[in-house]
Amino acid sequence: MGAKVKTIERRGSTLTERIYLIEIFKGMARTLRHLVRNLRDNKKLLVRHYPEVQPEIPARWRGRHRLTKHDDGTVKCVACFMCQTNCPAECISITAKERLDDKAEKMPASFNINLLECIYCGYCVEACPLDAIRMDTGIFSVTDNNRQSFIIGLEELLTTPGAYSEEDYKKGGA
Amino acid sequence: MFAEVLFIAFAALSVLGAMGLILFRHPMKGAMSLIVTMISLAGLYALLSAKLIFVLQLIVYAGAIMSLILFIIMFLNIQDNDLPVEEGRFLYLAGGIAVIIPIASFLIKIVNGLPDSQVTIVGNGFGGVKEVGLILFQDWLLPFEIVSLLLLVALIGAVVLAGKRRLVK
Amino acid sequence: MSLLDIFMIAIRVAFSAFVPLCFIAVCVWMERRGAGFFQDRSGPNRAAIFGFRAAGLVQNAADGIKLFFKEDLISDHIKHKFFFVLAPIIVFFCAVMSFAVVPFADTLVLGGNSYVMQGIPMDVGILWFLAIAGFSVYGIILAGWSSTNKYGILGGLRSAAQVISYEIPMGLSLVSLLIVYGTVNLSEMAQFQGQLLFGFIPMWGAVLQPLGLIIFVIAAFAECNRTPFDLAEGESEIVAGFHVEYSAMKFAVFFMGEYVAMFASSAIIITLFFGGYQIPFLNTQALIHLAKPVAFLLMIGLPVVMYYFAGWIRRSNVSHYERENDPRVFEANVYIKCFWGLIAIIELLLLAILLMQSGGAATHIFVALLQICTFLVKVTMMIFVYIWVRWTLPRFRYDQLQKLGWQMLLPLALLNIFITSAVVVALG
Repeated sequence: MGAKVKTIERRGSTLTERIYLIEIFKGMARTLRHLVRNLRDNKKLLVRHYPEVQPEIPARWRGRHRLTKHDDGTVKCVACFMCQTNCPAECISITAKERLDDKAEKMPASFNINLLECIYCGYCVEACPLDAIRMDTGIFSVTDNNRQSFIIGLEELLTTPGAYSEEDYKKGGA
Repeated sequence: MFAEVLFIAFAALSVLGAMGLILFRHPMKGAMSLIVTMISLAGLYALLSAKLIFVLQLIVYAGAIMSLILFIIMFLNIQDNDLPVEEGRFLYLAGGIAVIIPIASFLIKIVNGLPDSQVTIVGNGFGGVKEVGLILFQDWLLPFEIVSLLLLVALIGAVVLAGKRRLVK
Repeated sequence: MSLLDIFMIAIRVAFSAFVPLCFIAVCVWMERRGAGFFQDRSGPNRAAIFGFRAAGLVQNAADGIKLFFKEDLISDHIKHKFFFVLAPIIVFFCAVMSFAVVPFADTLVLGGNSYVMQGIPMDVGILWFLAIAGFSVYGIILAGWSSTNKYGILGGLRSAAQVISYEIPMGLSLVSLLIVYGTVNLSEMAQFQGQLLFGFIPMWGAVLQPLGLIIFVIAAFAECNRTPFDLAEGESEIVAGFHVEYSAMKFAVFFMGEYVAMFASSAIIITLFFGGYQIPFLNTQALIHLAKPVAFLLMIGLPVVMYYFAGWIRRSNVSHYERENDPRVFEANVYIKCFWGLIAIIELLLLAILLMQSGGAATHIFVALLQICTFLVKVTMMIFVYIWVRWTLPRFRYDQLQKLGWQMLLPLALLNIFITSAVVVALG
């Protein structure tokens, strides 16, 4: 890929620009136009009234994690520790136990993610061989008032539904 | 009565400020006490109906010169352990007091010998900007110009001295 | 000393002490909402008392309460605690004192006695402002130095050097103004500006001294440490400069001192260059003479203005998303009713003026009130200019700042003095 060279014209050397005050007044006129426009009609403000109006989250967006299930409702995760090993923030801690329903050899006994340490990089999703962990819940605001509640366990990860249909999620390139 | 109370307050403050300037160890505290002295001197001028001198004292001495001094002290950023150890401090103080007492008693005698004066507001715009300006630029024009020449010489001297060091480099 | 004398002294001292304090709220509100609207944002408008947001004014109260109840801590590394506490007090006190000499109405004549309408009636006028403005740098120096913090020291150094060097162009641009007015007394200056040039232009300082106006305004911006000269607290380089170690009420006092200083210097600019309390084309004598026609015009004009203002409130104060029974519509209706009530009271007062005998004490008080309103409106507009510049211009670099001060403003101010004195001498 060849580098695109764009020559930018140097400005600020003509007499009117050197006097500086004229340019200042031009800039002030520009900001005043914005003020007057917004004062006359404050619907033109470029703001989203957030808590009432929620943003649209695309399917590729990495939100809070969840664990997916098989069609019969059993957990997909086989406790292979790939996500825990790959996690750069070391926020995942899994303990494994023996699996008795012939789907695999192991399953997680506990699956804890510390959301205060998580950096939402998505490496756990990439590392997972079974598409068991996903970040498609669309939850972007995780708030609480004690630290303990930010460590989410197996129960919460399994019960949170995905926010998008399977087609939309796949279209996202996952 | 009110004027006398003010006079005593300003006089006491200016003496206290001057004492603080000498006695405080840290230069910043000394400079702040000097500001107190300057401001109370301005108050004394105001009691004498010298309005222009009052404001000039505030602008030039209490304002400009002292802020330069404070600026330099801040620029040097002197810590407590940078200050020199003053061992014979109280000896010097006692000696100074011993020298000053006869002079002070002489001065007090002179001041007591002066005819009594009343602290009242003098009328006819005495001490105002216009009156002082008229006197300065009519009756005392030549001395005024000589003094301003002297200041100009000092200014140029300061510039030359400040520039010389850069040449040596 | 009669009862009226004491009452008038109380009024004028109260005015010059409390109006700057009240304007802190207005300034902060204008700054925040103005900043928002300049940048296509909405600014703080969520804080509310029983659902009434007062266009964002409630946010000031919330911030004030927060700062008041915050822990007021002094770090252990600060050795000179006395100076540390003294610094914000100096800044605030100097800011309030510098407004004291500004006249906010013409001399009020009541029952044969005349009352000067300024906080401290002082002949030296503008020199007092220069002196006090010079003092406020002590607060900044002490704050920066006693913080024992390199950012604090850097901020203090920058601010001190800036204030000291911009005082010189400020003083010199004043000299040419003093040549024109022939007085240092601010009341006399304001009275001078009630005259008309060639019979139809108000003889304002801005008309007589345009260059002086530009130099003075730039220097005043620098004295207030406002953008584009706010290097002392350039948050991108030195965090917050001289007040980096301050918290809670001590920070709040610095913050309020900054806004009071802004108010005071706006008032000084208004008095020096924009006619002070003078209404253009109507000086005090003309106003006393024409009190009834002016009151009548106001009686007609105010409801018309209010009608359009009410329409604007109704259009602006709505929720910008789907909402059932929008509470902001109810809120807007309450505001509109309050404003109409206020207008009704003013109309009644104006009617009283119309019915009373002209030339009496009531007329004089009416004229003084009109002039106070004019003064406050002008000052508010000047404060708006301060805010407008702040949200338009980027910050200067330090060498650019000093170059502008010493190499541009100082020679220009000197040139202005020579030209002005030549013209004044030529005109006799």
